[in-house]
Amino acid sequence: MRDHVRGGALTEVTFYILLSLYIPRHGYAVMQFVEEKTGGRLLLGAGTLYGALNALQEKGWIAPCGASGGRKKEFVITAQGKQAAEREFARLAELVQTAAGIIGGAI
Amino acid sequence: MRKRVYRFFGGLLTAQETWLNRMADRGYRLVRTGKLLYEFAECEPGQVQYGLEFIGQKARGSAEEYRTFLEDMGYRVFYKNINLNLSVGKVRWRPWAEKSGQIATNASTFNRELLIVEKHNDGTAFQLHTACEDRKTYYKTLRKPYLFFCSMSAVFGILMRSWVGIGFAALFLIPLVLYQMELVRLNRQARLEE
Repeated sequence: MRDHVRGGALTEVTFYILLSLYIPRHGYAVMQFVEEKTGGRLLLGAGTLYGALNALQEKGWIAPCGASGGRKKEFVITAQGKQAAEREFARLAELVQTAAGIIGGAI
Repeated sequence: MRKRVYRFFGGLLTAQETWLNRMADRGYRLVRTGKLLYEFAECEPGQVQYGLEFIGQKARGSAEEYRTFLEDMGYRVFYKNINLNLSVGKVRWRPWAEKSGQIATNASTFNRELLIVEKHNDGTAFQLHTACEDRKTYYKTLRKPYLFFCSMSAVFGILMRSWVGIGFAALFLIPLVLYQMELVRLNRQARLEE
């Protein structure tokens, strides 16, 4: 969770968690989302996920949501979190454009 | 049929985790823990996997919250003591712990310093901490108590000119060095990878 304080770049885990929370999800659903979208390349440990969710909550980028009827706590991305995700999207797009110019070819 | 085994692993977290996973491979899953006791029930060999985590630095609230989070993920969770604590008095000062966890009592993480986490074996490796930064934070947490005990024993040994103190300092130095080596490795890795 150090990178986005230092240079503005989000870690892959942070970015994936933010993306997964455009729809309210609980911890297990976030883990499944990341695994599914990366085809199992990025496996998120429960301890890492717990730490990341807490850190993102402290930053105000995600917030708990939904009625507390069920036991499982759900989270959703906040407006501030969406801004951070959009910044990261723009940064990655720029990076991909530069890489495409040098390495060449479409992905 | 239930199987009762009495073992004490102390701070040897990897050894305890390996042993639990070996028991699971032989068809035994944990149903209850005591101070020295591990009670198992029969299951399909390799049906479950175990992971161990040190949570002695956590305050009561955050330890419970973390446990609930893990249970919500579909895991079964057991508390386990790291020490035998045969002494009288169930209050400990842990200057290396997080703020509200510095006074550990029976109601908080005293005798509940470890979490044994059981996951249904889906063929993937079971790791609770996967990201590099997070692994570094975890190893720093593990290093802290040994750093404290090692320096206290060394100070005591030098001031009192006691070989016992020096001996304890040397003993605590072993895990301290091992965790430090792991941290150095992760720091090197973090320069190029996440």
